[in-house]
Amino acid sequence: MNFIKRAYKSTKVKMGRTVLLTLVFSAILIFILAGLIIQNASLKAIENASKSTGATVTLSTNIRNAFDRSDNSESDSEEGRPDPGSFQISPVELAIAEELASMDNVASYNYISSTSANAESFDAITSTDESSSENSNSMPGGRMAGMLLGDVTISGTSATDTLSAFTDGTNKLIEGVGLTDEDIDTNNVVIETNLAEANDLSVGDTIEVTSTSDEESTIELTIVGIYESSATVDSRMMQMSTLNPANTIYASYKVANTLKGEDYENTVDSVVYTLEDPGQLQQFVQDAEAAGLDTDAYMLQTNDQMYQQMLQPLENVGDFAEKIVLLVSVAGVVILSLIVILMVRERKHEIGVLLSLGEKRSKVISQFFVEMLIVLIVAIGIAGVSGKYVGNVIGEQLLAQETSTTSEVAAMDGNGPGGAAAFGGRPQGGGGGFQSFRNFGASSSEVATQIKDLDITISLEELVKLGGFGLGIAFISIIIASIGVMRMQPKKILIS
Amino acid sequence: MLEIKDLNYWYTNKEDALYNDVNLTFEAGRLYAILGSSGSGKTTFLSLIAGLDVPKKGDVVYDGKSIRKIGMTQYRNRCVSIVFQSYNLLPYMSALENIVSAMEITHSKQKDRRAYALAMLEKVGITKELALKNVQHLSGGQQQRVAIVRAMCCDAQLVVADEPTGNLDEQNSREIILLFKRLAHEQQKCVIVITHEKDIAKECDTILQLKNKTFQLVK
Ligand SMILES: Nc1ncnc2c1ncn2[C@@H]1O[C@H](COP(=O)(O)OP(=O)(O)OP(=O)(O)O)[C@@H](O)[C@H]1O
Ligand SMILES: [Mg+2]
Repeated sequence: MNFIKRAYKSTKVKMGRTVLLTLVFSAILIFILAGLIIQNASLKAIENASKSTGATVTLSTNIRNAFDRSDNSESDSEEGRPDPGSFQISPVELAIAEELASMDNVASYNYISSTSANAESFDAITSTDESSSENSNSMPGGRMAGMLLGDVTISGTSATDTLSAFTDGTNKLIEGVGLTDEDIDTNNVVIETNLAEANDLSVGDTIEVTSTSDEESTIELTIVGIYESSATVDSRMMQMSTLNPANTIYASYKVANTLKGEDYENTVDSVVYTLEDPGQLQQFVQDAEAAGLDTDAYMLQTNDQMYQQMLQPLENVGDFAEKIVLLVSVAGVVILSLIVILMVRERKHEIGVLLSLGEKRSKVISQFFVEMLIVLIVAIGIAGVSGKYVGNVIGEQLLAQETSTTSEVAAMDGNGPGGAAAFGGRPQGGGGGFQSFRNFGASSSEVATQIKDLDITISLEELVKLGGFGLGIAFISIIIASIGVMRMQPKKILIS
Repeated sequence: MLEIKDLNYWYTNKEDALYNDVNLTFEAGRLYAILGSSGSGKTTFLSLIAGLDVPKKGDVVYDGKSIRKIGMTQYRNRCVSIVFQSYNLLPYMSALENIVSAMEITHSKQKDRRAYALAMLEKVGITKELALKNVQHLSGGQQQRVAIVRAMCCDAQLVVADEPTGNLDEQNSREIILLFKRLAHEQQKCVIVITHEKDIAKECDTILQLKNKTFQLVK
């Protein structure tokens, strides 16, 4: 154990050399730590992204085919323009939805059926700008607005807590309770806080809405919960009160079906299946098709697209960080080896003395290694203090670049063929596309915010990892330098 | 205790061999001096018997065992202590630490190493105050005394020294050679000192002169 004592003495007495080594080692470790921090942060962000998007598959009507059919029917249209009715998407049969729900791997499922309705006993939130209501006719869908759009959106579901709007934090329940399985056969609803305040409504009150297709059909709804929405939409969309987030009323999907009319009994717009294992998404689709799902009429969409979109910049950052770690490690080995080789040359007299005393070469090398360890421990401390700062600076820089490119990509995706991506982007929306359309406006900015959340912190795990890297670098450079020690002849050194 | 058998050595080619095969015996409890002109091969001889180099021919036998068998590192560690002209102390330590470290490296059987080293240093006129200073801050004579005390404190029975007084004045030289004498006579070690000073050699029990590639017994 004498070599440990010697290492300690030598480190202490030769302060200048020790400080120099410590600074060099610290610089190397700071870069490695910065790389590790960014790498870990991007891994964490990827994990969060997969959690927030969840492992879900959405069953809905095959929209592409629906559009094709409407194209064919265009010639039949007397007025030579698309008949809005031809856009009507035939709903999903409940029986089929239930069949898929019984498959393996399905952790939970949520039936979605949405429609618009007119506020009867209360006032929907409307845009104050009166003149703009004229403009709405010139917008795409304006005709739809005139004929079908009511004041409020009835977003039918089988449970609010598994809806993406609630899981991703856009909507937060602030009073009362959410809707669950037990509310399916009730007229219980959850409304937005602005709507509640404007009409002086609270939990326990009842409201009335009428169907947009049949003015005779009025339903009394009981408010069981109030939520707060942070969703933002385009101001032009705000002018249509149905699209105003505050006018979304969450109800049982059966309530939505009733408002839509008799034809819609035992149907849903879409079903969101949450799987137990995210890796099973493709398997689920295959199994469903093997079980005889009519792929012409229905389509199954996994949430991969959105997940991948969020993933790309994070993976780029992670890859880059990994390369930094590797590169700096190699550079560190080279630099430290050179320094240690020079140090060994400078100290060859000392080595000769030890060898003449019959000290083993391995112990001489061990002494240098221990000296390096002492330096390493101090260097880890220095790196730990400053690495967080460096990691922050580099991480922000990288993300600023990465997110700007992704936002562009996301925007381009939206303009992609058939606009299907718009629906795919937010599969849980459903409801004749009203809600999907609205959410799409927010989706690309949402991707950006999610990635801005790179969590730059130093955990014990990272420090341990850093220690591992430092140890490796110290070890390799000592091994390289020790070749010199192995070849040293005490006679040549000591007798000149 | 040390036998030299048919020993020979050459640096580049065999024709320039430094010795006619050497056969010598060194005994414990005696102080030997090796004299010889510059370039005659004294230092080379010492490096061979100290286990710092391997003979080209013949063998060095310690207590009946070839030092090759013992292993060079092991031989230097347990059997021989070397005192150099240039002291060769560890520069980042005090005199005391140098000695205690050497005792640890050579697995000295001494129980209280620190106290023993201090006592031995005291005997050669190195006070505790000096002993605790960094060794580089001592004078040449003091450093050489520390190097000799290092050899004294280790358990090795063979002590070899290459011109240990080369850098010292007359007074210091005398004190050093008397130390070696005590080492041989009081501790029953075999001490071999290379020197070119006749005065020094006179103090020794046996004087060997290296001349014309052979060792001649002068005294
Ligand atoms: N490393 C070497 N390579 C080649 N020749 C050497 C080497 N070292 C010594 N010699 C030669 O070997 C011979 C003996 O050298 P050595 O150092 O043993 O002499 P020495 O008796 O110790 O002389 P001095 O009294 O000057 O110290 C000399 O002629 C020298 O030139
Ligand atoms: Mg010499």
